[in-house]
Amino acid sequence: MERQPLLGDNCPDHVIRFYSNMVYRLAFARTGSKNDADDVFQEVFLRYVKKRPLFQTEEHRKAWLIRVTINCSKNFWRSWWKRKVEYLEEAPCFETREDADLHHELQQLAPKYREVIHLFYYEDLSVEEIGKILDRKKSTVRTQLTRARAMLRNILEEDCDV
Amino acid sequence: MFREKYMHMNHQIFPDPELMDQVLKSAHDAETRKRKIFRLIPKPVAAAGLICLCISVAAPTLAATSDFAYHALYQISPGAAQFFIPVQKSDDDNGIRMEVISAYLHGNTAEIYIAMQDLTGDRIDSSTDLYDSYSINRAFDSSASCRLVEYDEATKTATFLIMIQEQGSGNMEGDKITFSVREFLSHKNYYENIEIPVDLPSFTAGGRVQTVAASGGGGMYYEKHWNESSADTLVPGQPMKEFPVDGIDLTGIGYIDGRLHVQTAVPNRLENDNHGFFYLKDAEGNDVNEAYGLYFISSGESGRVDYHESVFDIPAEEIAAYKLYGNFVTAGMRTEGNWRVTFQLEREK
Repeated sequence: MERQPLLGDNCPDHVIRFYSNMVYRLAFARTGSKNDADDVFQEVFLRYVKKRPLFQTEEHRKAWLIRVTINCSKNFWRSWWKRKVEYLEEAPCFETREDADLHHELQQLAPKYREVIHLFYYEDLSVEEIGKILDRKKSTVRTQLTRARAMLRNILEEDCDV
Repeated sequence: MFREKYMHMNHQIFPDPELMDQVLKSAHDAETRKRKIFRLIPKPVAAAGLICLCISVAAPTLAATSDFAYHALYQISPGAAQFFIPVQKSDDDNGIRMEVISAYLHGNTAEIYIAMQDLTGDRIDSSTDLYDSYSINRAFDSSASCRLVEYDEATKTATFLIMIQEQGSGNMEGDKITFSVREFLSHKNYYENIEIPVDLPSFTAGGRVQTVAASGGGGMYYEKHWNESSADTLVPGQPMKEFPVDGIDLTGIGYIDGRLHVQTAVPNRLENDNHGFFYLKDAEGNDVNEAYGLYFISSGESGRVDYHESVFDIPAEEIAAYKLYGNFVTAGMRTEGNWRVTFQLEREK
């Protein structure tokens, strides 16, 4: 099988454009706000441009970006400024009420649950892949997914087949 | 059902165009700076009590001491040079010497300086790029990067800094690292913010369309226009003579579904890494980035060709107010060889 060519390690522009949505959506899922996602988004690609890490496959690059996005989100979450300052929340304008409700309800979950939900349901990663990227045991990821699903079922109060 | 709801919600979340522009500009500025100033980022001076680690050579063969290597290191970073332990291991092939100058470990990071010198010609220059042809084999989970930090015109020597950061909490001490290079690019040409001399309004008629298996893509509206892995693109035409970049062909401009498509082709891209991107400028001089871009590959009798298509969300009736611009990088020379150095990380007593 022919190796999937890398996007071009020497062209961060391509990489940024290619992974912009992935990074931004994960940052948003983790932080729950556009303001915070904006900051994380900039920080992730700033680190990418500065470090210019070497990857043998696109999967490795994707995993690196996911890991750094989550780390940046955590650091941001822990920062003094974040703990002391409350933003006037800027939520995205969703197309439907259902989307807005889902976003609102997801914010009731802890970030660690939101991140595994996002990686599993949106990035379509397996439990094993999530474990590797987040440096967690498979059993931990599975437990977190199960708990997140249970909480979502309770929150959404409907059989949404989570 | 939840997955569909979650996907639907997420498809409405993306970075604002201003944010994208800002990040892209920062990346571009950083790239430009890197090329123009070959200067090492100031190294953190290790505090007293820093555990100094050294590299010892795994194989018994030591290279002859190369003055240029030490000069390079001290020129690049005199403050940090004291913490580096000489390695003096080199490998010659095809008239080019690759030498591991020295290295040191701090925390979970290894920094290694490697010099490449052309002993017979001028194949190594200030644009020398190892692109995807180098590999760093190590026995631990880590991320690594390699970048040019210095070029000495007098000795035709390029010095690279390799940084390896361990991902886990383990210790790199005692681990072997093999750094190898099989080819490199040099004598690069940079085309920055050049205007492409094409008359965009003359391309408003619908172009010939084909459906391809896209190998990738990106951009803010990429997902809306990409059906699984297939996408509608222009049928590649003859390279346009107006395009001023050697090594990249402009093979199509046209409208598909109300959007402007601009297509380029790079023959044998895996061997030259030629690449670039387009943008538009409006009448006020504002830059307009592509709405999305996609890649596809064609393999014919004449070899592999990598295509890239930039798609702009500008209606045909408004395109007369825009000019096409781009940034491109092409390689002037490619040199093959087999350079390999293995060394072991050990703690200094």
